[in-house]
Amino acid sequence: MKRGFFHSRRHRLLLCLGPGGVGKTTMAAALGLRSALEGAAVDVMTIDPAPRLLDTLHVDGAVSQPQDVDLQELSVSGAGRMRALKLDPKHTFDSVVNRYAPTRAMAEAILNNRIYRSISTALAGVGDYMAMEKLLELYDDPEAALIVLDTPPAREALDFLGAPERLLDLLNSRATSLLGGGLKLSDLAARAVLSAFDRVTGLHLLSDVHTFVRSFEGMYQGFAERAAGARSIVYGPECLVLVITTAEELRVEETREFVGSLERTGLSIDGLVVNRVAPPLPHKSGLKKINPPSLQKKMQRNWRDFAALKQRETAALRVLKEMLPAGATMLVAPDLGREPRSLADLAEIAGTLDTPHFRK
Amino acid sequence: MAWPRLTLVIGKGGAGKSTISAALADHLAQRRPTTHVGLDQRGSAARLFGVAPPQRSAIQVRRDLELIALSPRRELERFIQRIVPVRMISDRMLGSRTFAYVTAALPGLEAFLLLSRLSAMAGEAARDDRYVVVDGLSTGASLELLSVARGIRNLAAAGTLNRLAIDLEGFISDPNRCAVAIVVAPQQLSLKEALEAASALREHANVNRIVAILNAVPAPLFNQAEAEQAMAADMAHGALVRRRLDLDAAVQRVRRELAAAGLPVIELPMLFTPAVGVAEITRLSRALGKQVEL
Repeated sequence: MKRGFFHSRRHRLLLCLGPGGVGKTTMAAALGLRSALEGAAVDVMTIDPAPRLLDTLHVDGAVSQPQDVDLQELSVSGAGRMRALKLDPKHTFDSVVNRYAPTRAMAEAILNNRIYRSISTALAGVGDYMAMEKLLELYDDPEAALIVLDTPPAREALDFLGAPERLLDLLNSRATSLLGGGLKLSDLAARAVLSAFDRVTGLHLLSDVHTFVRSFEGMYQGFAERAAGARSIVYGPECLVLVITTAEELRVEETREFVGSLERTGLSIDGLVVNRVAPPLPHKSGLKKINPPSLQKKMQRNWRDFAALKQRETAALRVLKEMLPAGATMLVAPDLGREPRSLADLAEIAGTLDTPHFRK
Repeated sequence: MAWPRLTLVIGKGGAGKSTISAALADHLAQRRPTTHVGLDQRGSAARLFGVAPPQRSAIQVRRDLELIALSPRRELERFIQRIVPVRMISDRMLGSRTFAYVTAALPGLEAFLLLSRLSAMAGEAARDDRYVVVDGLSTGASLELLSVARGIRNLAAAGTLNRLAIDLEGFISDPNRCAVAIVVAPQQLSLKEALEAASALREHANVNRIVAILNAVPAPLFNQAEAEQAMAADMAHGALVRRRLDLDAAVQRVRRELAAAGLPVIELPMLFTPAVGVAEITRLSRALGKQVEL
C-alpha cells in the first residue's frame, strides 16, 4: 500500500533547509501544522529574525519560550497540539554559559567579556549553534512527537550544520597555540599580526581574546558533548531533511550549490520541496467563445503573459528534477495566489504535499 | 541631483537584485564606464549578460561595462597579505586555526575591509567619472556591512582604525558617493522588509540616499467589470484575469506604502517572457533610463 510522503512516523525531527526568500519559514509552519492536525504533539522552532511565522500563528514573538498555537479555529477533530518558538540566540547562549560555567563568578566573567558580547550577538555561527542547543532541549522532552526546525537563510548550507564545530574549534583552548607556546610559523605570524593590529588600531584585542578563551576552559567538555548529541540527531535516522526552494531561474543555481554542499557533508536529502509553483493554465481554446472581441483580445494577451511565465517555471522545474539527489523525492507546493496569513492557508499548503511530484 | 558613484542594490532573496543590478549597470554604462561588483559568488549577473562569471580578474561585457567578483574573505586575505608580505607565511596563517580567533573575535572585520574596498572604488569612480553597482547583499547583510563602520569606531577609540572608520562613515552618508537601492517585489513580506531596512539604514548607518525599486509591475489590462464578465463567460480563464487583477492590487498597495514612507520609487515592469537574458536586461535598462537622471 502506497502512503503519503510524510506518513512515516519514524521521524522525530524535520529539518527545513534552503536559500533565503523561498518561504522556508512558512513551509516549516505548514508541515508542523499538518502533523499536529493529524494528532501529533509538534514543536516548531524558527531562527528567522523576522517574526513572520509567529505572526501567522498568532503568537507573541517577544517570548523566548515555546507558545501554544490555537488550533481550534480550524475545528479539526482529533488534533494534537502545536507549539511555536522563536529562537533568541543571545538569550540561549547566556543560559548555556550559566549552565556550564563551573562557578557563578566564571559565568559573570564570560557574560561581561567584550569579545563574548560581540560574539554572542554578531557572530553568524552563534545563532546556528544555539539552534542546535535548543533542539536538544526540545528533543529531551518526551512529549514532543515531532520537532520542526526552520533554519536561517544560509549563504552556505554548511553554515547551519558546521556551526557547532566551528564554534567549538574556536573555544577549544587546548587546540590552539595562540596563547600558549606554539612555535608554528603560522601561529607566530598570527600573533605578530594581532599584536601589530592591536598597536595600530588601539583595540587591545589580544588580551580580550586571551581572557575570553581562558574563561571557557572547563566548559569545553559540556559544549562538545552537546554538539555531538545534536549532530547525531541531525545525521541520524529520526531526522527528515528537506530542502525548500522555488522554481526561479537564478534560484535554481543557488539550489544546486546548496544541495551539493549538503551532500558533501554526508547529509542525505530526503525531499526537495518546490514552493510557490503556479497553477496549471486553462486550455487556450476556451478563449474563443469570449465576447466582446476587445475583452477576448486582452484575455489572449493575458494568457500569453502567464504562459510565458509558466514556460520559465517549467524549465526551472526540469533542471531541479535533474539535480535531485538519488533517493530523494520532489514535492511541489502550489502558489496560493495570495500570501499565506492564516492557519487555514498553512493547512492548505501542507495538504498538497503528500503526493510526490517526482521520485528519483 | 547626479546619480551617486556607487549603488548598493539590496533586497530580500528572490526580489530581483541580480536582474536589477545588471540593468542598472547596463544603463549607467551607456553614459560612463561602469563596474558591476558581484558579492554573491555565483556570478548571477554574469549569467544574465551571457558571459562567464568573473573569478579573480574582471570580465569585460563590453567596452564600458566590466564585471568583478568580491568577497569579504578575499578582502581579508588581501589585508593580511599587505601586513605579511611573505606569501608563504600569509597563506599558512590564513589557513591556521589560530587565525580563526582574529576573525571570530572581531566579527565585523571582514565586513569592514569589504566596505573599505567599496569606499576606495567609489573614490576612484568619482576621480575617473565612472560608476559602480554592487549586487548580492541580502537586506540583513547590507545592514551589517553599512553599520560596521560605526561599530568599529566605537570599539577603537583612537588609532588608524578609528580614522578609517570615520572616513567610511563619511562615505556612507555622502549622497554623491553612496546610494542604497532597495529592490521590492510587490508583496507584503518584501515591502515590510524594505521599509524596515530603509529606516534602519537611515538611523544606524546614516545612509542619506535611499531609493526603492519596485520590481515586477505588470502592465494593467483589466478592470473589475471585465473580470466579472470574464468569470461569467469562463471560470478558468476568468480566474486568470483575477490573478492579473490581484497582481495589480498588490502593486498598488506596495506603491502606496512606499510613498507614505517618503521613499523615492523607481518602477520596473514585470517581464512576461519565457527566460531572462540579455534582451530582458536591455528592456529593464531602458525603463530605468526613463526614470534615472544622470
